[in-house]
Amino acid sequence: MMVEEVIRYQYSNRRVPGRIHVSGFASVSVLAMIVRMATLSKVMRSAQRKLGMFCAKVFAGLFVFLVLLTGCVGCFSSQKEDSDKVVINYWEKWSGFEGRAMREVVDDFNDSQDRIFVNFLKVSKIDRKLMLATAGGNPPDVAGLFSWILPVYVENGALLPLDKYAREAGIRSDDYIDIFWQMCRHRGHLWALPTTPASNALHWNKKLFREAGLDPERPPRTIAELERFNEQLLRRSPVGKIEIMGHLPQEPGWWVHQWGRWFGGSLWDGEETVTAYSPENLAAFQWIASYPRRFGVEDLLAFRDGFGNFASPQNAFFQGRVAMVLQGPWMYNFIQNYAPEDFEWGVAPFPGSGMESGASVTIAESDVLVIPKGAAHPREAFEFIRYVNRREVMEKLCLAHRKFSPFKEVTPGFVKKHPNPYIEVFIELAKSPGAKSPPNMATWAEYRDDLIAAANRVSLLEGTAEEVLREVQERQQKALDRKSKRWKRVEKQRMKEWDEL
Amino acid sequence: MTAMEGKRLRIGLLFIGPWIFGFLLLSVYPVVASLYFSLCDYSVLSRPVFIGWQNYGDLVFDELFWKSLYNTIVYASLLIPLGFLVSFALALMLNFDLRGKGVFRAVIFLPSLVPMVCLAVIWRWMLNGEFGLVNTLISPLATFLNAWIGTDFQPPSWLQEAVYAKLGLVLASLWCVGNAVVIYLAGLQDVPRHLYEAAEIDGANFWHKTRHITIPVVSPVIYFNSIMALIGAFQVFAVPYVMMRGGNGPDGIGGPDRSLLFISTYIYQNAFDYWNMGYACAIGLILFLVILGLTLLATKISANRVYYAGS
Amino acid sequence: MSVARRNRRLRRAAVWLGLCLCALLFLAPFAWMVSTSLKPLDETMLLPMKWFPGKIQWHNYTEAIEAMGDFWLYAWNTFYLCVITVAGTLLSSALAAYGFSRIEWRGRDKVFLLALATMMIPFPVIMVPHYSLFKALGWIGTFKPLWVPAFFAGAFNVFLLRQFFMTIPKDLSEAARIDGCSEIRIFWQIILPLAKPALLVVGLFQFMYTWNDFLGPLIYLTDNKDFTLALGLQEYQSQGGGTEWHYLMAASTLVILPVLALFFATQRYFIEGVATTGAKN
Repeated sequence: MMVEEVIRYQYSNRRVPGRIHVSGFASVSVLAMIVRMATLSKVMRSAQRKLGMFCAKVFAGLFVFLVLLTGCVGCFSSQKEDSDKVVINYWEKWSGFEGRAMREVVDDFNDSQDRIFVNFLKVSKIDRKLMLATAGGNPPDVAGLFSWILPVYVENGALLPLDKYAREAGIRSDDYIDIFWQMCRHRGHLWALPTTPASNALHWNKKLFREAGLDPERPPRTIAELERFNEQLLRRSPVGKIEIMGHLPQEPGWWVHQWGRWFGGSLWDGEETVTAYSPENLAAFQWIASYPRRFGVEDLLAFRDGFGNFASPQNAFFQGRVAMVLQGPWMYNFIQNYAPEDFEWGVAPFPGSGMESGASVTIAESDVLVIPKGAAHPREAFEFIRYVNRREVMEKLCLAHRKFSPFKEVTPGFVKKHPNPYIEVFIELAKSPGAKSPPNMATWAEYRDDLIAAANRVSLLEGTAEEVLREVQERQQKALDRKSKRWKRVEKQRMKEWDEL
Repeated sequence: MTAMEGKRLRIGLLFIGPWIFGFLLLSVYPVVASLYFSLCDYSVLSRPVFIGWQNYGDLVFDELFWKSLYNTIVYASLLIPLGFLVSFALALMLNFDLRGKGVFRAVIFLPSLVPMVCLAVIWRWMLNGEFGLVNTLISPLATFLNAWIGTDFQPPSWLQEAVYAKLGLVLASLWCVGNAVVIYLAGLQDVPRHLYEAAEIDGANFWHKTRHITIPVVSPVIYFNSIMALIGAFQVFAVPYVMMRGGNGPDGIGGPDRSLLFISTYIYQNAFDYWNMGYACAIGLILFLVILGLTLLATKISANRVYYAGS
Repeated sequence: MSVARRNRRLRRAAVWLGLCLCALLFLAPFAWMVSTSLKPLDETMLLPMKWFPGKIQWHNYTEAIEAMGDFWLYAWNTFYLCVITVAGTLLSSALAAYGFSRIEWRGRDKVFLLALATMMIPFPVIMVPHYSLFKALGWIGTFKPLWVPAFFAGAFNVFLLRQFFMTIPKDLSEAARIDGCSEIRIFWQIILPLAKPALLVVGLFQFMYTWNDFLGPLIYLTDNKDFTLALGLQEYQSQGGGTEWHYLMAASTLVILPVLALFFATQRYFIEGVATTGAKN
């Protein structure tokens, strides 16, 4: 999994330790080891030999104990499940407050009826884990994925098409903001329903603007202006170390592979051609490369090495080290938690080529719920997905996620109730024609990794924008051809299977 | 074959039964299967489909494969000689039988016990460009040198720069030479005393003795350790993978300018991130051939130079 | 003569000092880790750095445990796997080593060479077939791929035990055979008790191996409940920015500690064991 909004999904994983008796036992054994270590340094050699033997015996004893104990634990856990309810395993990637929000929805669902019990499990690195579990024939019934991972799952036949279920449940495409509905479709079928969507926009630090003599209420509107502001905001220490910067394409760098969008570019033609080496993407990469040229490679590296965790007061934006960042609607929440009291900020569309014509660019992404192929209870699983896609449930979830609803219509007061004062900016951006989703191609994981590495290369001045993009273009075209070939081989059979379902 | 021999064979095979089973299932089958998969288009979820030599054909033109191979070779050719020098020097020093030898030996051995993941986490912090211990230690040295010779050397941001990232990884790996040190030390202690005594009568000094007695006598151990280091270096995975935070860092899985993309990493990526298991198998077999070839080469080179007692 | 002796003494002093310096260098990362683990976060990012925290923060450890998720569960999983794999390795490797050393059968040494050759196969090469094999067995997402192979005698352990078994005089088994002892009884009642130190070494190696293993759990485990400490630590540091250095170092310390404890408890065997791995064969 790569740098992206993804990074954030486990920023804090605080859970109460489970199985108390187990943890107690483990801690005792660790303690025993520590005590042994402390006493041992003085024990003489012959005694050490005896102790070695003693260890072996202890191990043998522990082994027997262990086997018995696991047996017991197994008994207990199998008794726990309610026998007359259908139990649905639900894998979710989010932890932290997002995870808690989803858990609440799950609890509500479990309380709302007495037929189905949803078992909420937190799974990290879910895009890989779900694939492994599905391949292993032991998938969960529902999983919360990121929208951009769908194509590769679909083309490998890892998911269940939801068209029929959705039709039966009366789910209509018209209800959803178009871009989020389209994300859930691939190769002519519906594979998922969106849950918590997001778009991204420019966040700027008003205090730094003021200190630099800029109008704190006026964000930049073009890239050129952004760069002018950047020069004005730059501050170096007497010895030349960078202390404050206006903007840095790599902070936070979650969308560093898609900067071309703001220059009017795209990453593929939607069919079979990769368009990494296009004038627009070139412009974007030249822009990235201009930073080390202007500010010095070493200086930038040292500057970045000093940044702390995203979700911490050491975040470069909260600390006032970087004045403008590209971020999503959740940012407000982290500002509240980690930024200093007097932090002043604003949100506006990120400047880009289409801005004057009114088409501000944003990258729209969404969390989605899917049913893996081989799930034991698909019908019940869909019932849960359907429940989450009720307007009021969805709004509650999205509010708790600090995001907005994927539905076109929201209940009156949703925006007013939303704790993010700038939420409308994000909603408008998502609805605008400038909203783009990551390319829905089966090679996106490779492509993205490749673009990140390419951006990294130009930022170290190890290659020019032309060089790196030409390489990406060639390699990714080949990768796409390979996957297209694979798809063509199974296309007919898959389509038939899906149509039957 | 007599009845006795037959019985022994049966019993012998019975004893090694578990091994035979494991050998067939976990060594022979995987290698054969790997051969077959490498000729297939195969993702975890679909059946392998035979496509002939295409994976190998793609390999030839895959810059990333060559890059990962290059990185692996550079890493190995830095680590193996340096590791030898460091560990052999330490073993020679320990062999002086000085006061506190046991403590020194234990201290030097300790780091090789540290789990790979911890090692990577610790060294990611050690090598931090701003606050890391390594830079704290070398920056006075750098200032001194700069003032003295007039160079302009700045302590680097180790894990963010292509060249230094690899050096940083080598540094972290050198911390774990303890295993080799212990093995060398055991070898050194087996060198017959009388050889030294004879040399001393001839007026040989320490370097002469090391060069003409110690190294030839422990050459089998050097050979063994080098082969082990070779196999280890060519499989390096966990430390760079964890150092780059499984690809969650800003530099992606391969590090700055992909200088930490090793063959194992590339195999793993292809198999489990990019759904190209057949391709991963093809790369794996190439890795196998490279290791095999280098081992044979090492054996051939050392054939005349390794001294075996009694020959 | 006295000059020579003085020279020798000087040299020994120089070597001793050199060793001291090396020891300090080898210990520095540990000291740095512990020092960082006891600092508040802002003190880790202080220039110039300090070796001693202004105020010692023991609670970093409890907080690191919490931040890692189910630390105790991971510890338990790791320990569980360690114990099973040690048991499996000891049993299977001892059997195989016995078959390779104490019984004379035709072709034995050739087969043994074959066993040694398997040590040459790098794991990344057979990773995919192993995965598909365990997938076919339905073992993905369980502990089985991590411990079942231990019951099929790895070549390295067999080699170590065989080296040791060879040193036990042949007459011992011959005498027992003449008395009508079955091979399994000779193995169990005569050879194994004599081989305790070697078994201990193999057990220790396997314990360390399982404790440290990362790639295996990374591939086979799907559920966070099943994570081992190594995997849990890597997961934790790959989240967020991975710069909560005080917690990361505290967690690392906790993961290293049991291994070090085990080492100190069995140091002599351990070092001897490592030394024999390089023995000429």
